[in-house]
Amino acid sequence: MKNEVARQSAPRLPLALLRALLSRAERDEISADVVEEYHARAAKQGRAAASRWLWRQALGSAPALLRWGWWREWTGFVPRANAYQAGGSMLRSWIADAQYAARRLRARPTYAALAALTLALGVGGTTAVYGIARGLLFDPLPFANEDEVGVFWKKQDWSEQEFLHVRGRVPGFAQVALYRPRAMRLREGDGPLRLVPGISSSAELFEVLGAAPTQGRGFQAGDDVEGAERVAVVSYGLWQELGASPDMVGAALTLDGIPHTVIGIMPRGFWFPDPTVRIWTPVPISADAETFNSTLVGRVEPGQDVRRVATPIAQLTALLVERFDYPPQWDKTVNPRITPVRDDMIGRMRPALLATLGAMALILLIACANVAALMLGQVHDRSAELAVRLAMGANRTRLTRQLFVEALLIAAAAGALGAGVAWGGYRLLARALPLGAWAEGAVPDWSLFAVALAIAASAAVLVVLVPAVSLWRGDLRVAMGTSRTGRLEGRGGRLESGLVVAEVALAVLVASGAALVAHSVVKLYALDTGVRAEGVGVLDVVIPTSGGLSGRRQTVEELTTALAGLPGVLSAGASQVLPLREGGYNVSLSIEGQPNPPGMSSEFRIVTPGYLETMGFELLDGRTITADDRDETERVVVINQAFVDKYFADVNPIGQRMADEETARVVGVVRNASERRLTDDAVPVRYVAVAQMPWVDEAQSFVLKAAPGADLVGLLDAARRRVQEVRPTAAVRSVSSMSSVLAGAVGPARQVVSLLSLLSGLALVLGAVGIYGATLHFAARRRRDWAIRVALGLSSAGAVTQVFNRGAALVAVGVGLGAVAAAALARLLSPLLYDVATLDPVAFVGAGSVLLAVGLLAAWVPARRAGDVDPATVLREQ
Amino acid sequence: MSRARADDAPLGTFEEQILVAVLRTGDEAYGMNVRRELEEVTGRELAIGAVYATLDRLEEKGLLDSTRRRDRGAGASRRVFELTPAGAVALSETRDMRERLWQGVEVPRPSSS
Repeated sequence: MKNEVARQSAPRLPLALLRALLSRAERDEISADVVEEYHARAAKQGRAAASRWLWRQALGSAPALLRWGWWREWTGFVPRANAYQAGGSMLRSWIADAQYAARRLRARPTYAALAALTLALGVGGTTAVYGIARGLLFDPLPFANEDEVGVFWKKQDWSEQEFLHVRGRVPGFAQVALYRPRAMRLREGDGPLRLVPGISSSAELFEVLGAAPTQGRGFQAGDDVEGAERVAVVSYGLWQELGASPDMVGAALTLDGIPHTVIGIMPRGFWFPDPTVRIWTPVPISADAETFNSTLVGRVEPGQDVRRVATPIAQLTALLVERFDYPPQWDKTVNPRITPVRDDMIGRMRPALLATLGAMALILLIACANVAALMLGQVHDRSAELAVRLAMGANRTRLTRQLFVEALLIAAAAGALGAGVAWGGYRLLARALPLGAWAEGAVPDWSLFAVALAIAASAAVLVVLVPAVSLWRGDLRVAMGTSRTGRLEGRGGRLESGLVVAEVALAVLVASGAALVAHSVVKLYALDTGVRAEGVGVLDVVIPTSGGLSGRRQTVEELTTALAGLPGVLSAGASQVLPLREGGYNVSLSIEGQPNPPGMSSEFRIVTPGYLETMGFELLDGRTITADDRDETERVVVINQAFVDKYFADVNPIGQRMADEETARVVGVVRNASERRLTDDAVPVRYVAVAQMPWVDEAQSFVLKAAPGADLVGLLDAARRRVQEVRPTAAVRSVSSMSSVLAGAVGPARQVVSLLSLLSGLALVLGAVGIYGATLHFAARRRRDWAIRVALGLSSAGAVTQVFNRGAALVAVGVGLGAVAAAALARLLSPLLYDVATLDPVAFVGAGSVLLAVGLLAAWVPARRAGDVDPATVLREQ
Repeated sequence: MSRARADDAPLGTFEEQILVAVLRTGDEAYGMNVRRELEEVTGRELAIGAVYATLDRLEEKGLLDSTRRRDRGAGASRRVFELTPAGAVALSETRDMRERLWQGVEVPRPSSS
């Protein structure tokens, strides 16, 4: 064309600038006019002048054209003359592309649903898990400069006497506070008595924590001495529950029957040492108090790190030894250690959370790989369509944009679905994980949701760009050719195969991790606890302190009798500490007729008659404790097998006498029970009668054995009411069962295992979808090839074998790679494992074979279908 | 964005010039020709972008209408403008206003040139 030739001789740069600024509909027309004018001017005034003119036109038009472009976009104005021209408003063509993409997705509902669902599960799940983990692992605790705060070793094992000895002169520490949990009975008006978890502490507590009440004051020196006014600081939540009165500070609150003045309200979100605690009172510190029941928490000098206070600790132990003689089992100079406050409070949860977080990240990866593989399959199939459209004059940019919009639509659908998954999954996790009240402060993290969605969407877009690149490279003629022939014996799909292999490998990783933890939990449950947890209900009760020793004894006895008398209850009893719950006393002893080296001791449990029977302790010799063992009769003691093994290895234990403060006679031997932690070896234990003890604890655990077939929950409810009837001043702290005590003892691994199983199920499904899709697609690419073979008289079995082998190969490689990765990463799970090697063959073979089986099945289904080729149909189609 | 209508706002000077140039070029009122016409009459150089932006704005206001005419080589066409009745009214009103404004007014000629 003449104009084309002419335009080539005009200066290119100003022309290009002009063209870039013009709307597509008018670009050619206007630049042709400009070129025409250029040539006219060149002929009249010379090329140089014409070129200068062209430059002036281009630069002078730029501001007006830029404004013009924006104005058209903004108003959507299309000149009537352009109504049927290609390329109108940008915005409109985007909308049209979105509509087109939506139509295409509707035409392939399975693909669209699978892709969106896969992404939603990965993105939503990751968000949910991170929402919980973030609060525990990364968010600051409600204390100022938490790095300066640490908990001393030997938790709940310090006495007020020791504290007073070191108070104010702990080397390296600015302040140290003593605290211990104290559940307080709170009565509000005429309402029922309720038990509020609280803390009794020395006056330094809030200064150590670096927290101050929003209203009123914290503790001050002098609050924690005998005879001081009784004061209390309440949590924001408790203040709200009590009516949120603005006059709360200065009001009186009856705690344990004693009026306390409220001096402060803590800010919202403050908790210590766990979020269930709602009230803090100063403890009157006494130099005579030798009970080892408190914990020390300290703040180092400003700017120091509590992790680096080794030398001061040595000085502290020296200070302690100056004054106190420690028997070996209570020696505070052994392994002194300060634990940063965060580790102390969250340490137990950390491995479980990290494992879940890791599994979730893997799921997100699998989801990305899966969507990528799905899309890749789709775009391969579309290369013919794209080639045809391009050949018919479609615009490359527009085609690329349509692919892009399609990916974005899937990502948007996944975002909407994923938000639901994130919210639901978050609530599920908050219940499933051993979070306790921490869950209250956690929220799903929507900023992470955005990031995860962006990652997934980018993965989708990247995949979509693969065919777009070939579009731009212009090898569409090849694409058209191969699509017609079905890419005869072509290989292709390498990226798709790689993605599927990665998916399977990741699924193996998740599944074998889950299997490891599951195997460990199974082993924990198989441990012999020595007690029979089935059908045993537990009521933790704080009994009133009024009435002194005899009053408490009477309360325990009356409540036991009342519970045993409930219909459906076989027996009942009480102890101050139940098996599998840590804590309890360890008391020194001496045995008559033995050399008695210093430091002999055993665990010590004060129980009622009927307790050992209710808990299912097996009696090996002699008798248990009965109602005839009274204060006035001879003191008796029942010991366990571990006690016999350690102290009476060569003699008959029955009738032996031993002493702590008074002499007692051994009357029976029971089988070992897990009196401490589930995984600890059996330790020597003495069980003594509550009626014969010079002290009775406030906190008592009552247990009752339900008759076979009785409803334990109903029984516990009746039991709770019965306790209130018999002793209205007693407070039922919690109601549970021995089974849940056992579950608690199994620990976070138990909760994590259900979660990990869920996740590996998800990984399995995603992996299977990936294999199925890739195999199906592989089969589709070779349909023509096989159709020809079948037409030539060969059997279709070859097709089936080829497809199946292909799928099986992907699965096998994936499982192999996954197993190697799992073996390398398994030791990260070791904190959650008990008696299971990190290379546990049971877990690995189990997880591997399940995936292998599912994977082969997923490959077999499309392979079977590949065998059903009807050459006539296939060849006619193509 | 508020849209100026023919009946409530007078034409800008450049808009008036463009409309007159469209009238003057008659059947050949396409962008480049309008620009050329104005340049010849006013004697100053105009950027084609400014002309097109104004033509578009006038069409959007309903003062101009554009159609396509195939008058050169195969497939190529030009967007050609003509005044709408509203455009004609706006132009004549502007002219009347101008004439009323000028009635009886003498511009003193500068004494020296």
